[in-house]
Amino acid sequence: MKTILAVDDSGSLRQMLSFSLKAAGYGVIEAVDGEDGLKKAKQQKVDLVLTDQNMPGMDGLTLIKALRGMANYKSVPILMLTTESGDDIKAMGRAAGANGWLVKPFDPARLTEVVKKLIG
Amino acid sequence: MRPPDSLSNDATKAQLVRLLAGVSLHGDQHLAEVERDLVQVDALLNEAIKKLCASFMAIHQTIGLQQEALNGVLASGVAGPEQAARLEALRDEISQHVGAAVTGLQFQDMTSQLIGRMVQHLAGLRDVFGALGADGSTALPESGSEEMLALLDSISERVGVHGTELPRVTRSSVKQRHMESGDIDLF
Repeated sequence: MKTILAVDDSGSLRQMLSFSLKAAGYGVIEAVDGEDGLKKAKQQKVDLVLTDQNMPGMDGLTLIKALRGMANYKSVPILMLTTESGDDIKAMGRAAGANGWLVKPFDPARLTEVVKKLIG
Repeated sequence: MRPPDSLSNDATKAQLVRLLAGVSLHGDQHLAEVERDLVQVDALLNEAIKKLCASFMAIHQTIGLQQEALNGVLASGVAGPEQAARLEALRDEISQHVGAAVTGLQFQDMTSQLIGRMVQHLAGLRDVFGALGADGSTALPESGSEEMLALLDSISERVGVHGTELPRVTRSSVKQRHMESGDIDLF
């Protein structure tokens, strides 16, 4: 089973992500912020990372940069899932190493379609 | 030629007017942002509740149809391809309604960000009034014009600092005004 790391400080959002991705057949590891996400990514290599941008402590862009600095996360797909929709911040996400940008709120069918496209 | 005291009084009055204008401006800016955020929260909550009610009713109705289809299969004792296709279609329909509900349920994430921003603005407003209160309480009636002027300068400076910090808290990361699913860009 492919595993996805879902990083978001909103408990309800994590619950919705977990529900949608598990229903599509993926395993989900939840993290409450960037630091927690980084810690969990080090503990277990995941197949895809889905992260929010604005979180207390470590934000999504910093998490992406940290993950891309790790040898085993160089080619793991990372998607941003955030309320932010500006072109400037999207460009920063792309430069940091994100593979895609999803603006909240998400539709479970569209999300799983994108995930399937990236990791099968 | 005007006496030095009169000049000092004019300077104090001018500084007082500047201070009040500054307080009014910062207060207005904070309150305008709070008002804008409240309108957005109201719109998001309205849409979310409409979406959730519609999804709830649709799920309820489709489950009823699913039950009818199952009852038909049980009564006839036959589960042919037609019945299987009907049940599969109903299952897909339920999934779509559940998906719409999941989108609607994300209102809390957005509204809590907006509420957090409103709290920051109210704290900013409280700080401005706090600066006025803390320094203003030392402005005793017997203070001389020079002392009063220095005090007003200090309060204006503090209020000005709050004003320069305002853009940092005014940027909103939530632009959404509808509970429709957002764009997807793959790089």
